[in-house]
Amino acid sequence: MSKNTVAARFRRVDVDEYDENKFVDEEEGGENQLGPDEAEVDSLIRQYPSVTRLALQAVLKNPPINTKNQNVKDRAEGLVLKVLSAFKSSDIEKGVQSLDKNSVDLLMKYIYKGFEKPSENSSAVLLQWHEKALAAGGVGSIVRVLTARKTV
Amino acid sequence: MADPPAGQLALSGAECTSGPSKLPRTDLMAVSPQTATLRPYLNAVRATLQAALCLENFSSQVVERHNKPEVEVRSSKELLLQPVVISRNDKEKVLIEGSINSVRVSIAVKQADEIEKILCHKFMRFMMMRAENFFILRRKAVEGYDINVQTQAGGLRHPLHGGDRQGDQRDEAVR
Repeated sequence: MSKNTVAARFRRVDVDEYDENKFVDEEEGGENQLGPDEAEVDSLIRQYPSVTRLALQAVLKNPPINTKNQNVKDRAEGLVLKVLSAFKSSDIEKGVQSLDKNSVDLLMKYIYKGFEKPSENSSAVLLQWHEKALAAGGVGSIVRVLTARKTV
Repeated sequence: MADPPAGQLALSGAECTSGPSKLPRTDLMAVSPQTATLRPYLNAVRATLQAALCLENFSSQVVERHNKPEVEVRSSKELLLQPVVISRNDKEKVLIEGSINSVRVSIAVKQADEIEKILCHKFMRFMMMRAENFFILRRKAVEGYDINVQTQAGGLRHPLHGGDRQGDQRDEAVR
């Protein structure tokens, strides 16, 4: 038997915790991120029913990426879905063209998030948007959605 | 890699239907809401798979000389990609989970009534029981879906042999 039967506490140490190469997910505090402004977006939809890309740009501001509050994320997703459904099929392409690269990536994230909760007609709309956003952003935008550590 | 506009993507044999594929896309939208979503749905799945199927050989970080599909083992968060769903409606969807060396695709097939549910279940069970011969099928489907297709980096390199994973490690040692 081993001589040292007294000091056995070292056996309970979790060595993996102290591994310096261990991957730690960064947890940035994002409690003040509120998501897109609902009032602003609603007013834009009402005021300019034909110029819906203003509403699109407004709703893609302030994405609730860092916050852990699920309600904020759900509310943002609902708002984005509302704006996306308000577009006419022919306007979708122009709407996507008016966005810059980061906004296209963000739009892709929202599209995939919207696919997770399919409702009445949402998937059809989202599929159309997906096609146009893919044409604008390429496969790279999908890769950035897959590899993002923080989802919208 | 240049991405051709969606309208010009080539259709594979499984997706070609005799009639609607010859019509321009705008007519397809007028046919019926159900068929109108089929092509964008398949294109979306294809594009997402194209993005997710970037795999490389990656040995296990936990056990030496082992090569495990990280999407099954889920040993470390840094090796996993975000799981992504593409849904056509609430009954049909595809879940794609990626990782550094493997991808798992879960497919929920449309089952309109009881008889279709039974038929689908029996057919999937038939195929999944013979998963060893298929190489890329998983023996048990993920909760909420009907069938799983899973592939590892080695499997993509030697499609005829269904992935000679041990062979990859032997090759590297020889080189």
